[in-house]
Amino acid sequence: MVDPSINEHGQRFDRLQLAALVGLMIVGGLFVCSATHANPLFENLPWYDQMWVRQLVWYAVGIGVGATICFVEYHVIARWAMVIYWAMIVCLIAVLIPGIGSTHGWGARRWIDLPGFQFQPSEFAKLAFILAAANFLSRPIEELRRPSIFWMAIGLMMLPFALILKEPDLGSAIVLVPTGMAMMYVAGVPKRYLAILVGSVGLLGVLFIADILFAPPSLQFPMKAYQKQRILVYFGHNYFASPDADATPAESRSIRQQQQGDDYNVRQALISVGSGGLTGKGWRQGTQNALGYLPRAVAHNDFIFSVIAEEEGFVGSVVVLTLYAVVLFAGLRIAGQARDRLGKLVAVGVVTLIFSHVFINIGMNIRIMPVTGVPLPLVSYGGSSVLGSLIAAGLMQNVYIHRKGY
Amino acid sequence: MLIFDELKKNDPQLRLVAMGLAAGFFILLVGLWWVQVASAGAYESHLQTQSYRTVRVPAMRGKILDCEGRVMAENGASYNLSLYLGDLTGQFQAEEKRLRPAKPATQSQPFWKFWVHSSSGAKKATLSKDEIAALQWQARNDVAYTVVTKISRTLQRPLTFDAHGFDRAYRASLYEPYTICQNLTSAEIARFEESYSESNAANLDVMTTRLYPLGTTASSLLGYVQKDDSSIEGEEAYFNYRLPDFKGVIGIEGGFDKELHGRAGEESVLVNNQGFRENEDVGIEPEPGNNVRLTIDLDIQRAAEESLTQHQGTEARAAIVVMNVRTGDVLAMVSSPTINPNYFTGNLPPDELQKEAQMMEDTNLLPQMNRATQTFDAPGSIFKPVVGLAALEDGLNPNEIYQVEEDPMNPGHGCIHIGERKIKDTVAPGAYDFNRAIAESSNSYFIFYGLRTGIDRVIKMGEKFHFGEGTKLQTGQDSRGRFPNLKQVHESDWHVGDSANICFGQGAMAVTPMQMAVAYSAIGNGGTVLWPRLVDRIEAQTPSSGEAPLIEPSAIVRDYLDVHPRSLNILRGAMLGETQNGTGKPAQVPGLTICGKTGTAQVQNQNGDLIGHNFWFASFAPYEKPQYAVVVMVQKGLGPGSGGVTCAPIAHDIYTEMVKKGYLRAAPQTVASTN
Repeated sequence: MVDPSINEHGQRFDRLQLAALVGLMIVGGLFVCSATHANPLFENLPWYDQMWVRQLVWYAVGIGVGATICFVEYHVIARWAMVIYWAMIVCLIAVLIPGIGSTHGWGARRWIDLPGFQFQPSEFAKLAFILAAANFLSRPIEELRRPSIFWMAIGLMMLPFALILKEPDLGSAIVLVPTGMAMMYVAGVPKRYLAILVGSVGLLGVLFIADILFAPPSLQFPMKAYQKQRILVYFGHNYFASPDADATPAESRSIRQQQQGDDYNVRQALISVGSGGLTGKGWRQGTQNALGYLPRAVAHNDFIFSVIAEEEGFVGSVVVLTLYAVVLFAGLRIAGQARDRLGKLVAVGVVTLIFSHVFINIGMNIRIMPVTGVPLPLVSYGGSSVLGSLIAAGLMQNVYIHRKGY
Repeated sequence: MLIFDELKKNDPQLRLVAMGLAAGFFILLVGLWWVQVASAGAYESHLQTQSYRTVRVPAMRGKILDCEGRVMAENGASYNLSLYLGDLTGQFQAEEKRLRPAKPATQSQPFWKFWVHSSSGAKKATLSKDEIAALQWQARNDVAYTVVTKISRTLQRPLTFDAHGFDRAYRASLYEPYTICQNLTSAEIARFEESYSESNAANLDVMTTRLYPLGTTASSLLGYVQKDDSSIEGEEAYFNYRLPDFKGVIGIEGGFDKELHGRAGEESVLVNNQGFRENEDVGIEPEPGNNVRLTIDLDIQRAAEESLTQHQGTEARAAIVVMNVRTGDVLAMVSSPTINPNYFTGNLPPDELQKEAQMMEDTNLLPQMNRATQTFDAPGSIFKPVVGLAALEDGLNPNEIYQVEEDPMNPGHGCIHIGERKIKDTVAPGAYDFNRAIAESSNSYFIFYGLRTGIDRVIKMGEKFHFGEGTKLQTGQDSRGRFPNLKQVHESDWHVGDSANICFGQGAMAVTPMQMAVAYSAIGNGGTVLWPRLVDRIEAQTPSSGEAPLIEPSAIVRDYLDVHPRSLNILRGAMLGETQNGTGKPAQVPGLTICGKTGTAQVQNQNGDLIGHNFWFASFAPYEKPQYAVVVMVQKGLGPGSGGVTCAPIAHDIYTEMVKKGYLRAAPQTVASTN
């Protein structure tokens, strides 16, 4: 077999990855349309105000921005990495201030309202972190062995992590951890540091969950009630496991209702995915979404995978997984072909970030992950998310375009 | 594969990341396979239970027809007005918005936001969950109340709005219409249709209801239905909702409910997450019930009822049975007074409904009782032919003369002394043979010969007629009556006076008119005791279905009297004389020879005081070859009357109608015999 890389040297873009990205955007457009077609809120909107049209507009904008990024060499962008990073930190702080940040009626303060667009800084902060971390970690490998550098890298990660967690947006905060760790690992941070990192993250995680599940309320980690409930639901925690003898009937009833409500989204998502079967019910034929069992507020964004899985079945799910696999493995190939460690780290960072999103999002649809508001990249409805994903794709292509030997 | 090429290079870190990715994808793949392929069935059934509601759709109930196929009970449309709650959602929401209190304007918006958000009206105050629920409840009630009031005005019928019932319906079955007004009259339908507009949230629903087009005709026999939507045997036991259905309670409707009822179908309604109806499909088509064709001839039935009304009024407590003596087929069965069965389904004008309701309460009239089969009373003299038959079989010479002695306390009337006790006779004292004793109905004669024959033989004869036993009618109205058995008459507390009472149809016995019809049929047909038969056949509602009708066997023999034909001939001759020269004269029909027996039984209350009489006329015709038996019973309070005066004229009318209808042939009349 002829080494295909010889042929590829002539390529300006990684076409395979681009094709998979286009595929995901097609899937996104189709299923945002399907997920919203039965929603009475959008029924009377003119066609140009329909969610799927808006999504297509965001694709167009995102492709424009992503393409623009391709033409500015990533070294140039990396030079501005810390500026972008701190600018995003300012945005993340700003979003927490009532009056600037908006909750949009949800529990969390995640958005900054701009004319015609609600800007979600955390989506871009993730990318800013990747750029900053890549820039920071691309220093000579000897320096990485210094503990001070390691701790600074940790700090680089923990600052946006803490701010996003404060919004609160547990999902977006958590994806930073695997991304940061993968980048440090690939950069060459000594294994013993990483072992400590993995160990302490794991230990913290276990303590965190144990705290939520078993600790008395006074010792519990301060969290929004709904976040705690989501995690409790994930662990199948029965609110009645330790019946409170003092609870009045009214209290017990309220607890029961709460549990049903918390459990509801996950159960409906599972029913959607499961009832899709092998081949699904056909595009726009899914009943879970059309009848409103799958909550309409989330069907086109966080739970869009349920809609795809119900309507296209296991076959459709595998197609979506394959598209992501192509994008991500092509991303890793780009990392391997990168001219320098900066490029490699940017690519690895983007790949890990997208993968974390995909894994958490699809995982929560089939109950192998707790419910956290993480979008499915490029497919879920949402301007910030689409724009962020396409900028991320632009960064990977940028690294590819400016790879070694070209 | 192309994209893995780089990973073959010596870059352990990237390889580990790639392996991590591959492992992640593998986990997702396995997870998806587990949910979507391995457990798909379980999730599919979850989906079904949460998004489908099953509705029981009743089958078309079979008709009840007379022997010529004329309709006695059928199904009709009843028109209801209902609200479709799904259509009202918009109005509910608008009303809720209107009701919502405005937020007090304490917080002003930051200045830079003025151009961001064009002011979208006053902000609504934030409310707690319970407050919102109360608000929504209020909004729904307001909307529904407004609609109901509007409709009440349109129909010009006062309607009440039941807030709690509405709330219950809203919570329980959003996917089903909420009925606000039932049984619209045609005028109301017209008014509703006239004012119909798109914004009208109410819909005219057509429901089936049970109709009895003949009103009170044969109504005791037909029985009635009541609303009952429970599953019958062999049906799906669980439904989310049941459309109104009827179940027969008593009479033919009750006894043949299984045949009439059919099999309910099932409709699946797809509902959305709030429980509103999206669409529906019929899962199982209902199977219509079968028609029940009776042996009743409506013409005879009507003639009997009209004659009864004409002679005794609508509130007469009476029963009539007309039976074919050869087959046991019942041609007419009247019980009076009776309730219009449309009362039970509410298909009567309000004033009539009220009238029927009042009658239902009447403990004297007891209109729900089928007096032809359900009430049992002393037969009085109409039992004498049974005693006579026992005596004849025992060797009584019909020409033997019995001297009825005069009652010293009541000159002109006879009496008989049984031990210490004197039993009065209504006939004049004198010489009586069998014919005269039957024709004039002498108590003394039958007591004397009954006792001479022996109470055992009388009881045995009565048992051959199956007095004191049911007649297996499936109407749920079948009484056994009362008749002593041999063991009872040999007990120490049985006295000769008790035996004497039996001999003229009083005392420890009671019969239903149906039992007497069976007995007189047996005397008429030569000694065969038959099972009475009410249902001729069970047939499919649609004749084109090709299903063969189930024909109920006719002339089922219950027993034989095993008496000598000579005895029967003597008895029949005496009974012919009764209508020709005796008490039964008013029953006479020109050209028809009727064998009959009148009777008057005393009715006593618990203290033994006389409170009334049961008048009887039991008969069969023609004498030459008996074909039909007619038994008429009228219960009256104290006052004038007798079997011959009260009942025989009614039998006369019935026989006349039967001649007219061709059931009986009247011999051509010569001028001489009409005088």
